[in-house]
Amino acid sequence: MENQTPLVSLQRSVWAGRIPLEIVLAPSESRSYDKTDPYLISYPRLSYLPSLLPRLRAFFSPSLIEPSSQHHDGWFAFEGVPLKWHYPVGLLFDLYAGADPATKSCVDSQEGESPLPWRLTVHFSDWPSEDLVRLDPDGMVMNDAFINSVKEADFLRNGTAKGIMSLSKEDSAGLWKSVEEVNLPSFQRISNTLLPPLSQPFRNVPIRIFLPLPPDEESGLLKVVQSPLPPSIPTSSIQSSQSIGSRSSPGMQLQTIGGVLHTLLPNLFPSRRTPVLAKPVLHGAVLPMSALIEEVVRSSAYGDGWAYVVVRMMG
Amino acid sequence: MVNALSAFPFLTAGDFDWACRDLADRACGGGWPSARLVTQNGIHLTITQCVDVPEATEGSELEVQELEDQDPEALVRTDLSPRLQIDYDIVLSPTYQVPVLYFTLRWHHYQGPLGLDAVYQYVVPEQYRKELKTVGVMGGISFGYHPQSGAPAFFVHPCNTADAMAQIADARSVNPGTYLIIWLGLVGHCVNLHVPRELVASDSPSPS
Repeated sequence: MENQTPLVSLQRSVWAGRIPLEIVLAPSESRSYDKTDPYLISYPRLSYLPSLLPRLRAFFSPSLIEPSSQHHDGWFAFEGVPLKWHYPVGLLFDLYAGADPATKSCVDSQEGESPLPWRLTVHFSDWPSEDLVRLDPDGMVMNDAFINSVKEADFLRNGTAKGIMSLSKEDSAGLWKSVEEVNLPSFQRISNTLLPPLSQPFRNVPIRIFLPLPPDEESGLLKVVQSPLPPSIPTSSIQSSQSIGSRSSPGMQLQTIGGVLHTLLPNLFPSRRTPVLAKPVLHGAVLPMSALIEEVVRSSAYGDGWAYVVVRMMG
Repeated sequence: MVNALSAFPFLTAGDFDWACRDLADRACGGGWPSARLVTQNGIHLTITQCVDVPEATEGSELEVQELEDQDPEALVRTDLSPRLQIDYDIVLSPTYQVPVLYFTLRWHHYQGPLGLDAVYQYVVPEQYRKELKTVGVMGGISFGYHPQSGAPAFFVHPCNTADAMAQIADARSVNPGTYLIIWLGLVGHCVNLHVPRELVASDSPSPS
């Protein structure tokens, strides 16, 4: 990773990513049924939906049939599926919205019905306890879920979670605040103390792969693949013709996204170089199969340190 | 000594699979009738217990009862005092490579909240409450999602498990079965899950 600048500018673009949301109040909870004005916002991909709840509760309060509900009673659904609030909205969009991911060649050639703005429903009653963990008024549950996820990423990168555990209370709170406020400089200041220096490779790379949802899936159960992924593996175990970069030590080969997908999901990814049946999507864009996994995470991880790659079927 | 652990203090998926099957086999031999193996979406071990919560003595020491039968009908008793059913699931963490204890709560003959407050009031024995509540953002127990069912579930934080196992278990003599028993002894008691004496006794630890 001699060329640090492209990674930094990539990270800046990832942090600048936004999705237009159109949020409607559940008709059954509205005095005017489906005639309530929607709430429109351009929302950062890295943000979490519950951060919108205080604003939404205030916006919809004149319409609510049940006026005693509070903002932390709020939850979101897309086409009837309750959305797991502990995932950043960019991941939820990539998973559910059905939008065609952007590629280098086609920037905007959406045909037919556009998935944008992404139309979500907000509820302030009937919490789906079978599907979602309850929120609290002070946002502690959300903060806790975020830090647990950061801890996991830290453990994979370093082989220990001592980094995040020894972070001061201010910095630990500051990390969550910087993600909530989408403040990249303040995020970098704290996360740089957790990340191994560029000269030192990760022990394992925090990537989770989300498999395509079967059509007409009502349960909303996500199939997630996670396996220890070292940044480089012995050359013998992959095709020797695919030699990349000078950073790898002798006999070792840097792992690519295509290589990892081919190893973990050979049926969906019969080739490690070309997407044939399915393609990997991150932040609404198709990931190059040749991208090195450590570089992907260093440049394009979500605020909790994870790259959440969504597998999308082609054709 | 049966198959030593290649990744101690961590558990590989193969070790974990072996350990769960071993424990399930031995548990049905005595002491732990409700322990059962679940092999949907990956393997895990489930143990069900019920806690009587007499309203008059709320918050006092609880009586833990092992379910005699997994038949849901067995839960229907003649007296209708509130009972809390706790389903514990032992799952291997793909991140930490150690077992993680998940659990869910369900009331019988009672409607009440089932949040973290209920966990500390009815599940965590009094002597561990203070210690558990003061670590991390919300304490040593979090409300998250079961990695296999995707449903909301509580779990005991696993990030220090490997260090603790390295301290108390002997790398040379521990095998997958004894690893899981030692781990349960370490993690289980803080959420009222105790290893039956029969299982420990039949485990024949190596003399040291």
